[in-house]
Order: sequence, then C-alpha cells, then structure tokens
Amino acid sequence: MRRALSLIVLLVLAVGLASALRGPSVGAEARRASLIDDDEVNFGRRYNSRAVEETGASNVVASVLVTYRGLDTLGEVTVLFVAATGLAALLHTGRRRRSEREATPASLIVFTGCRFLFPLILLFGAYIFAHGHLTPGGGFQGGAIIASGFLLIYLGCRGRQPESKRLSAVESLAGLAFVLIGLIGLAVGGSFLLNFLPEGSPYALLSAGIIPVVYVFIGFKVGSELGGIVGDLSGAR
Amino acid sequence: MSFLAGYVQYIGSFGLVLIGLYIVLVKTNLIKVILGINLIDTGVNLFLVSVGYIRMGTAPIFSQAEAAGREMVDPVPQALVLTAIVIGVSVVALALSVAIRLYEHYGTLNLCKIRELKW
Amino acid sequence: MLLIAAPLGLAFITPLLGLLSERLTRYVPAAAMAFNFTLGLLLLPRVLREPWIVETAGLRPPFSIHLVAGPLGVGLSLLIALVGLLVSIYAIGYVREGPVAKYHTLYLLLLVGATGMVLSADLFNLFVFFEILCISSYALVGYRGDRAGIESSAKYLVQGAIGSSLILLGIGFVYGLFGTLSMADIARNVDSVTPMKVFISMAFLITGFGVEAAVLPLNAWLPDAHSSAPSSISAILSGIAIKAGLYAVARVVFTIYGADTMPMLVLLVGILTLLVGEMSAFSQNNIKRLLAYSSIGQIGLIVFALGLASASGVQGALFLVVSHALAKALLFLSVGYMIYRTGSMEISSLYGMGRRMPVSSLCFTIGAFSLVGLPPFIGFAAKFTVIRAALAGAAPLLTALVAIVLLGTVVEGAYFFRIVQGLHFRPPPEGAAPEQTDQYEAPVSALVPICLLAAIIVAVGLYPGVLTKYLGPAAMDLLDKAAYIHHVLGV
Repeated sequence: MRRALSLIVLLVLAVGLASALRGPSVGAEARRASLIDDDEVNFGRRYNSRAVEETGASNVVASVLVTYRGLDTLGEVTVLFVAATGLAALLHTGRRRRSEREATPASLIVFTGCRFLFPLILLFGAYIFAHGHLTPGGGFQGGAIIASGFLLIYLGCRGRQPESKRLSAVESLAGLAFVLIGLIGLAVGGSFLLNFLPEGSPYALLSAGIIPVVYVFIGFKVGSELGGIVGDLSGAR
Repeated sequence: MSFLAGYVQYIGSFGLVLIGLYIVLVKTNLIKVILGINLIDTGVNLFLVSVGYIRMGTAPIFSQAEAAGREMVDPVPQALVLTAIVIGVSVVALALSVAIRLYEHYGTLNLCKIRELKW
Repeated sequence: MLLIAAPLGLAFITPLLGLLSERLTRYVPAAAMAFNFTLGLLLLPRVLREPWIVETAGLRPPFSIHLVAGPLGVGLSLLIALVGLLVSIYAIGYVREGPVAKYHTLYLLLLVGATGMVLSADLFNLFVFFEILCISSYALVGYRGDRAGIESSAKYLVQGAIGSSLILLGIGFVYGLFGTLSMADIARNVDSVTPMKVFISMAFLITGFGVEAAVLPLNAWLPDAHSSAPSSISAILSGIAIKAGLYAVARVVFTIYGADTMPMLVLLVGILTLLVGEMSAFSQNNIKRLLAYSSIGQIGLIVFALGLASASGVQGALFLVVSHALAKALLFLSVGYMIYRTGSMEISSLYGMGRRMPVSSLCFTIGAFSLVGLPPFIGFAAKFTVIRAALAGAAPLLTALVAIVLLGTVVEGAYFFRIVQGLHFRPPPEGAAPEQTDQYEAPVSALVPICLLAAIIVAVGLYPGVLTKYLGPAAMDLLDKAAYIHHVLGV
C-alpha cells in the first residue's frame, strides 16, 4: 500500500520533471546560443569576464564564493556551526553512559603510522585553503581534509584525542573573525564584505584582497567543526 | 540514442533524486532513510552543477600556463553546490546524532516500532 | 545589515562565554534581540518612505547579494526581535538542565535565520537563512532528550530535509531558466519563459517552503514537534518559524511570479487547513498538541487571506501573522510553567489553575480570547480585516468560504472556552497532593514576558491604528512587483 502510493508520487514527479525540460532546455548551454555576448544579462558570463579585474583572484569560483556571494558563504558557515552545536547538545545527555566503554588500544604500527600522517594531512589541508584563490580548492575543502586528519587520530590512536575545549574555542573565534572582516568592510567602504585589502597581481599568493584571509578562517572553522562532529559521534568527547 | 546525449546529466540527477525519494518513503530503517536523504541531496547537487555546464567548457580558473582560449563554465552553480553540499552534510550529521539517541531510547531503529506519539 | 551581523557575531561568541561561565550565556540572546528591536524601531520610519537596499561586496544589484529593508522586512524583523526577546527572558529561568550554553546559541541562531530570511532579496540567500532556521529548530525540538522529543525531532528532520531538497531543485530550475538569482531580476524576466516551466519551478519552491510553513498535506510533523519541544521552543516555533516559511512562500509567489497567478487552489488549501486544524484541536486532551493543531488552523486562515491576493487581503494576513505570533507565544509560555508544576500535559490536570497561578491563567485567558477573535483584543481586529477583505469582492464562492471561516472560529471558541472554564471554574483533580494545590505562581523571569505579551495584545487591540498604519505599506511591499523591481534595480 505504502509502496504503491509512493510509486505514484514518484511517477507524477518524474513526469513533472521531464516536462520541464521539453522545448528550449535549461542551462547555460542553451542560453549561450540564444544570447549574444552580453555581460549584463546573466551572472555566469559577467563573473567570468570581470572577476580577475574586480577581485584579483584567478579562481573565479573563489571570488564568487567570497565576494559576490559572500553572505551565502557566511550563512553556510553558520549552518555548519548550528549543526555542530545541535549535535553536541543532542549527544550531551547520553555521554556519561557511553564514555565508560573500553576501547582496545591500537597496535604500535597503526599508532605510529597515524601519528606520522597527522601533521602531513594538516599541512596538506592548510595548503589547499591557503591557495584557494589560485587553484581549485578553498576553505571548505581544506577544512574537510583537516577534519579527516582528526578522524584518523580518533580511529587510529585510541586513547589520545584533541582537546575538545580548544577545538570549540578555535571554532568560535574563527567564526567571529569572519563576521568581523565583513563588518570592517562595512565600516571602511560602506558595504558588508567589501574587498578592502589591496588586490595585488594575479597568480601571486598574496593577492585577491580578503579572499585568502577569509579562506584561512573558513578553513580553521570548518576543520575544527568537522573534527568536533567526528569526535562527538565517536563518543570520545 | 543520440538525442539523449544532451540530457544525460538531467536523467542522472533526477534518477538519483527519485531513487532517494523512494527510499525515504518506503524503507523503515532510519539509517536507510538518512542515506536516502543523502542520495536526494547528491542528485539535487548534480542537477545544480549541470545547469552551469557549457559543452567543451573548461574550469573557471585562470592560470598562467593556459591561454584563455576556451570558454569557461558558469562558476555560480559551483559556488551554490559548495554551499548546498555543506548544508546537506550538516543535516545528515544532525540526523545521525538523532538516530543515536533514538536507538538509546527505543533499542531499535525500525520506524514502524517508533510510534509512541500517537494521535 | 547590522540586524543580522550583530546577533550572528554574538552567537559565535556564546560557546566561548559558555566555557567561562554558563550563567552568563543565558543573557546573550536577550541582549541581542533587544539590540535588534531598538535598531528596527529606529529604522522603521525611514523605510516607510523608501525601502533601503543594502548591498554587499560593494557591487550594485543584481550582481551581488543584497538585502531589502523595506517596510515588510523591517516590520517582520521587529516582530521577530520582540517575540524573541520576550521568550528569551522566559528561557532564562525555564531552561535549567542540559547544555544550557548550547541551547542559547541555537536559539539565537534560529532568530538570526528568521531575521535574515525576511530581509533578503536574493533567492539562494533566502534558502541559506531558511536552512539556518530549520536546522536549529531540528536540534532544539530534541533538546530535552526524552523519548517524545527525539522521536518528533527525527520525523521533523526527515520531512524538513526533503522540503529543503525540493527548494534546491526549484532554485536549480530558476537559475537554469533565468541565469540570475536576485529576486528582482527574476521578476523582471519571468514573462520570457513558457508558463509551464514557470509553474513547475514555482511548484517545487512552494512545496519545499510549505513543509516548514505547515500547509495542509505537509504538516504531519507539526503536532509532534510543537508538543514535544520545551515550551519556550514551542512558542518560538509556532510564533516565528512557521510564519517564516509562509513568508518565503508569499515572497516567492507574489514578488517573483506576480499576484495575478494566484490560483483558487490556494484558497481551498487554506480553508481545508483551517478546518482540519480546528477539528483536530477540538478532540485533543493534551494541551500542547491542542495548541499545535490550533497553529495549523491559524496558518490555514493566513493562507486563505494571502490567497485573496488583494491589498486588504494581504494586510489582513500580515495582521493575523502579528496577532497569532503574540497570542500563541503567550499561550505556550503561560502553559509552560503550568505543565512544569503539575508534571502532566493533560488538560484535566490544569483544572483549578486559576486559583494556584492566577496571573498565568489570566494571561492564558487573554491569549485564548485574542486567538478566537473577541473584541477588545488584537485578534478581533485581525480577523475582521480578513473577513472584510474576503467579502469585498462579493463573489458567491468567497462568501461561502467566509462562512466556513466563521465556522472554524466557532469551533476554536468552543475548545478554548472549555479550557478557560476548566482553568478558572473547575476544582483541581482528585488525588492531587496538597503542595500541588497551594498558590505557587511562576517565577518573575517567566511572568514578565507573559504579562508584557498580554499587555501588548490588549493595547494593540484597543488601538489597532498603531499597527495598521504600517500594514498598508508592508502589504504593498509584498504585492507590488513593479515597485520592488524599481527600487532594487533602478529600472
């Protein structure tokens, strides 16, 4: 009964989706044909053609994320913060029972291997978010890599874990820094998240105004946040 | 089948969404439902990225080595998808923590048995 | 802009503060909302004349994300700040167990999400702030960690996640069709695409936002979630969160697609929701589930008012939003301590509360009467505006629907009168221990917001002109597509 109903719903949905694509189709490909080279008309073309001169970053996606749609990125960072806090709050009350479980300590090879790899992973993650404005990557990707380093520690080196208080302090401070950067832009130039640092020359590491700075903070925040989530879920905190 | 060539990405993404929706509606294990939510998110993100695709386009990154000869794909859907992926991960993480607590209370993850709140 | 950034910054510091001293974190949301409220009051006169477009990253619209602080946006942020402030004062004393610092962080972020939603002028930005709202509410519903709370949180989460994916699907279609995400820009280009595609993308967006707004087929999560959450959260959810979902639907439909595409279906859905909500509430024994079903009913009424698609209809809808937010928050807050004292949510255990907790019972009565729509309270003015707007057209179908609305109001009156009568005139149940029947009022931190809410309900009820002066421009903000495009794009 339930299966039949849900199949009917899915069928209706599929028909709806298919009919939405009939005729001139959806997407940039279709629009490329129909529109002449007009920068003012849609986002994609305008950003591609003007991003380097307006923001100085070679990675157009980075400039879109931090400058043109910076408020969305701030919101996204907030969503992750909400989820991490909510997760910690929900798992808080059952914690006492769970932490009494004994875990077998890892063998020497695994333990040493994890300890060896952990700083390398952190370094790689930092490289990704520091170069976010030049190469594919950026704050979120770098932060996720850092979090996987934390995951390695939780899995491989049982019994040793990062300080949970330090992680949440880093998380809060990094988030605050992002907001403050935006507010400084507001104070200096009159609009939130204005690019107020000098743009420098493209392809150089210190270029693109506030984009690398914001990415560094996002990297710290996401890394510590996801690390905290992983720790909460594994019952270690 | 060449008329489908332009539509492959849409068929793929909508297919993922529909499969995910089927799982959420029909399956009774909460972990499977959470995986279904993840599938729906993946399908929607795939759809969003494919909206910005231009045939023979290249990644929207300038680099010294490559002359700006080919046209670049639209960077905005990529930024949107970054945000959407993070939001999806947050929802799934929260869902998993709810599942952990639910298991502690009820001892099972079967949604048919977790029906204490009735009318 | 500061309306969003300041509370957000405070929200990020809250866990740090929590490490230092947990007692301090209880005051943070109250301080943030007080700031928002004063800022909103200062902004309101200015934006009544001309909406203030705030851009980010120094680029003119539509190429950057921008916020529109128009009469509707600032008015709704004022409402959010006011209700948020009062409920957070209540929560200072009410939330005692569990990780309190995290509760306040989540609570503040919920309000940040709501404020961001009403001020945003960009479709994807609307979605992001909507997600902030939703995810904090998923976590807060399950905050107490008991069986009912976690179960409701799970169901709410699954349904909400599907809704969010549908919204994203709709946004994907919109971007693919129009190449832009700024709502004004989309509004300008809407006619250049076939109606079928417009309809499909609108359907996805409405369905997705409708899950949070709890319109008829999508509201299965609401009774559980609102009744199992801690009372301060129930107040915020019923008062603010569902209104935010409804605002998103209204903004998408009116501003992007234009008022004349509002189908008759919306009116019918509104009426059906109203009937289902009120009928279900009537047969409830659990006071919080009853209030939750009553919220569903009121949302149906607001949807009906929006469906009229006329200036007075939208004004009535906004008036209802304000009055319901105030009244429902008042009801949940006053009931909160009653439940805490008796330890049970059954209505029969609330009998005789009039003697034990006189102030709370009086305020509950005021809230109930306002919701039903009795004269000296704000609810009366709100419902009257809606009914007058519906009858203005003099179409026979509308008159029939108005009759159904009145029927719903009668049902509402019936169950609320039953409760009020039980509160004041029935003796406490047998077998209640003596210390439970003595006079033992709720603490001051709870009484202050309850009495303030009651006072506002009475004051605005007596002088509705104070509010209606702002409702006109706010309604036009929502309805007038051309003016919106003109303000944002300068076209």
